[in-house]
Amino acid sequence: MPGKLIYLIRRALRNMFQNPVLCTATIGSVTVSLCILSFFAIIVLNVQEMTRHWSREVQVVAYLDKVPSDANLASLLKSAESMPEVLKVDYITRQQAFDGFKGRLGDDAALLDGLDVDFLPASIRVTLRENFRNRAGVEQVVGQLKQNRGFTDFRYGQDWLDRFESMLNLLRIAGAVLSGFLLFATLFIVANTIKLTVYARREELEVMSLVGGTSMFIKSPFLIEGALQGGGGGCLAIFLSYLLFTLFLASGLENLFLASGAEKIIFLPPFYQLSVLVAGIFIGIFGSLISLRKFVRI
Amino acid sequence: MIQLYNVCKSYGKDGSALEDVNMKIPKGDFVYITGPSGAGKSTLLKLLYVAERPTRGQILINGQNITRMGGGKVPYLRRQLGIVFQDFKLIQSRTIFENVAFPLEVRGRKRYEVSKKVYQLLKSVGLEHKLTKHPLELSGGEQQRVAIARALVMDPLVLLADEPTGNLDPEVTLDIMDLFKGANARGTTVLLATHDRELIRRFPRRQIYLENGRMTEDWIP
Repeated sequence: MPGKLIYLIRRALRNMFQNPVLCTATIGSVTVSLCILSFFAIIVLNVQEMTRHWSREVQVVAYLDKVPSDANLASLLKSAESMPEVLKVDYITRQQAFDGFKGRLGDDAALLDGLDVDFLPASIRVTLRENFRNRAGVEQVVGQLKQNRGFTDFRYGQDWLDRFESMLNLLRIAGAVLSGFLLFATLFIVANTIKLTVYARREELEVMSLVGGTSMFIKSPFLIEGALQGGGGGCLAIFLSYLLFTLFLASGLENLFLASGAEKIIFLPPFYQLSVLVAGIFIGIFGSLISLRKFVRI
Repeated sequence: MIQLYNVCKSYGKDGSALEDVNMKIPKGDFVYITGPSGAGKSTLLKLLYVAERPTRGQILINGQNITRMGGGKVPYLRRQLGIVFQDFKLIQSRTIFENVAFPLEVRGRKRYEVSKKVYQLLKSVGLEHKLTKHPLELSGGEQQRVAIARALVMDPLVLLADEPTGNLDPEVTLDIMDLFKGANARGTTVLLATHDRELIRRFPRRQIYLENGRMTEDWIP
């Protein structure tokens, strides 16, 4: 079995060296297509990173009518923290609220002169876990907090949350549709390039079939060739994307996203790089298979 | 060895290539399939190596009914056949040696075994000194000898030849016919499709005459 595999790989490599132009064209089209896909993935990933950063703003602030006793406050915080949606809970005293407000007023802080420090209510600020930073998660937390009569009012940026969720949904749908479209276009281009390779060797395929070559024997070297070309194209696409990312894209994205609050600009993580490589191999094999169906008929 | 019962082959409504063909060819026979162009000679051979399927009727080769043979079994049937074409069908990117070795390669034979057998066969067709050349560097007659060597390399039960001398001059035709006769003498059943009356006259053997897809004559000398 290993001997047969080595023989088939040798034949695939020999075919590739015998048709250097078509082989280069196939690797080139895989590289360009996957490079476009990688660029798209980089942009989507960075947008996601940015929205993740924005989602930290999704908090629930519950205002307390009266300042609770230490024992009451401890139980209040404990019950809030025990909710599965909650990451952390901060108690904001009246003094802290006053100081915060004063700080935000900046140069106009003098307006607060003469006012009592306790004119602002105390509150608890609930930060949600990442998975629950959405309308459903917020409503769940607010619903549970409302059971405590100590809270008089809740603020969680309802309008902002709605807009944020709509934008996230739009991004997800657009990402899925565009990725699917790009992948399909890549497959189409590569399948057609491979079809040229197969067409150039249709005479050999016919002879193979006439002298008793089984379907698998005839197809295997082409599939291996497709996998090697696809894999090679995938590697080149990752390398080229990294090069272009470092040289051009990173600075452009930095200007765009860092101003919008993102922490840093990221390249494709290892899992995505592996996915590009696997996608290249898959496209190569599938492209060969589509082309061979037309020419290998036993 | 080869039996055909009421074999018909038609392409669409009006294109009838073969009609009600019956024949029995015993093992070791040498048969000319003859008739004018378009008589159905090539179609008959195509049915025998399962490049086409009959519309009606039954075909048996070596006791095996190939009429409804599954696609997976066809390669194994073809390994018992040697096929020679008018246009040689050699792989241009491969050397003469590699072309002849190809059927052995397909069957997964060992390298040393392949080399020995191929060399012997190329020697028998007088081309052992050209084994590193490519087909386009050879004359038409030499290319056909390579094609015959390739067809014989697996010692086939049946040799099917479709107008093998169609493009060759009379002198080369004699050499080619010697190769077919040699294979036949070693026990291979030979079916040779040709419309060359002169060839048949010089090497008289059993003749099956086809006209407009019908078998009109089966002459045994």
